[in-house]
Amino acid sequence: MSFSVDEGEVVGFLGPNGAGKTTTIKCICGLVQPTSGRIKIFGIDAVDETRKAMRYTSAVLEGNRNIYWRLTTKENLEFFAGLQGRSKNEIVSEIDSLLDQFDLRDKENTPARKLSRGMQQKLALACALIRGTDFLILDEPTLGLDVKTSKELRRYLLKLAEDQGKTILLSSHDMNVVEEVCERVIIINNGRVLADDLVENLKSVFDVHLYDFFIEGKHRFEKIRGSHQVTDIRYVNGKTRLRVALKERDSFYRLVDDLKNEGAKLDRVKNLDTHMEEIFMNIIEERGR
Amino acid sequence: MRDHIIFYSLLKKYFIELKRYFLNTLMSMGGIFLLFMMVFFGLASFEAGTETLKGTIVGFAMWTFAVMAYSEMSWSLLEEARDGTLEQLYLTPVSFRRISAYRVLSSFLFQFVLFMIFLTAMMVVTGEYLTLGPGVIVLVGLSLISVYGIGYIMGGLSLVFKKVQAGNQILQFMFILFLVLPTITEHPIIYATPISWGNVLINRMLVGGYTLLDFSLMDISILLLNSLAYLAVGVAAFTYLEKIAKERGLLGHY
Repeated sequence: MSFSVDEGEVVGFLGPNGAGKTTTIKCICGLVQPTSGRIKIFGIDAVDETRKAMRYTSAVLEGNRNIYWRLTTKENLEFFAGLQGRSKNEIVSEIDSLLDQFDLRDKENTPARKLSRGMQQKLALACALIRGTDFLILDEPTLGLDVKTSKELRRYLLKLAEDQGKTILLSSHDMNVVEEVCERVIIINNGRVLADDLVENLKSVFDVHLYDFFIEGKHRFEKIRGSHQVTDIRYVNGKTRLRVALKERDSFYRLVDDLKNEGAKLDRVKNLDTHMEEIFMNIIEERGR
Repeated sequence: MRDHIIFYSLLKKYFIELKRYFLNTLMSMGGIFLLFMMVFFGLASFEAGTETLKGTIVGFAMWTFAVMAYSEMSWSLLEEARDGTLEQLYLTPVSFRRISAYRVLSSFLFQFVLFMIFLTAMMVVTGEYLTLGPGVIVLVGLSLISVYGIGYIMGGLSLVFKKVQAGNQILQFMFILFLVLPTITEHPIIYATPISWGNVLINRMLVGGYTLLDFSLMDISILLLNSLAYLAVGVAAFTYLEKIAKERGLLGHY
């Protein structure tokens, strides 16, 4: 597997479960010894000179298990800054700013164990940022967060990339995060890179059109499910909603014909926006074989 | 430059956590103290001599200190792995071995104060007074280096095998054996086992009234060599086991 991330770039690191994302991230962080190959962080060999490379690297790994639950919010921030060798004078204003940005000001003296999961996650990210490194690795930063907190965190990540120019490698199963925050994505499976391109380029190459077909009555459409890429089928308000991902215009008409042949009474068709999730699935299916 | 900030951060965190869980610390110390009272007054009821009783005080205090010291290395490492913060300690510009050493130093500062309070309380309760001089910190410090060496080995084992609590419990009993060994035998093995020779010298200082200057160069050299040997083996074993843990991707997996 070979890939690179340019300075100041925000790159999504994707792959299905067991693809090797976390192992790769742990190799970059010096937590897992790679069996072969080289990893360089700002030109420093992260395998042979791990300590030197860690001067420039911080990471939030596996959600909220990155902070000390007995320490308060502020104590956690001070501790992680100190762990990177940053003195208290150096970080006073930075701590204040992070507490404000992450809406943790009211909780600065609250032990981390008493914070909600969302707040713990935000604190973990703030603790990674207070280290003051240029390279930030985020493994599932929105895992287990509610919609509101996840959105807040996405907004902050975007701001972080735009305002502070941090280099970010982000692994997530949440395609909303990837689509909103990343400029480029690397998709891996079974230890090899399946795609490495700008989000926009992948969208144009692997674009699929999502449609919702509403059909009168309740149907199972076994035959149609076998011949078309049906992503979901459910019965809603007296109608069967068939969600399909179609790549070409012809397949749309073919599906309409097939439905007619099945005796289905088509009520209406709704065109949905294409999301990163469909592109991701497409790449895994097409290139992952 | 950077190291003193890292050390200060670890020291501060250690004290914050202690303060926050002071009642727990106090209660566990109270439990150990009760155990000591049982041992001491049990021995006194058998009309043991003053020297034996004083030796018991020193031996018990040393055992408590030794257990606390090596627990700092092994238990806390397990705790970090379980809580998911161990990886964060590896994501620093200094090696984890050095982080561990700073943590040990932080805990030593606190534990030594506790050791002195413990010793004083024992003397007051039992009425057997020891000669406490400044040299005791040197001897205790040198003796404990060997314990930290063992702590490094246990810490390394816990990185790879995770569940080593049974081993830790066995070690608690082994420390009793190491401490009483010099009272059972004069065999040179007491120079080779951890903490045994240190306990002999500490006994001479606290019970016999020796000062540091009363010891021969050989006495101190044996203690120093013994401790450094254990530390060197401990660090080497930890480095090797850490490498295995990294190769197998076991760091932090609990």
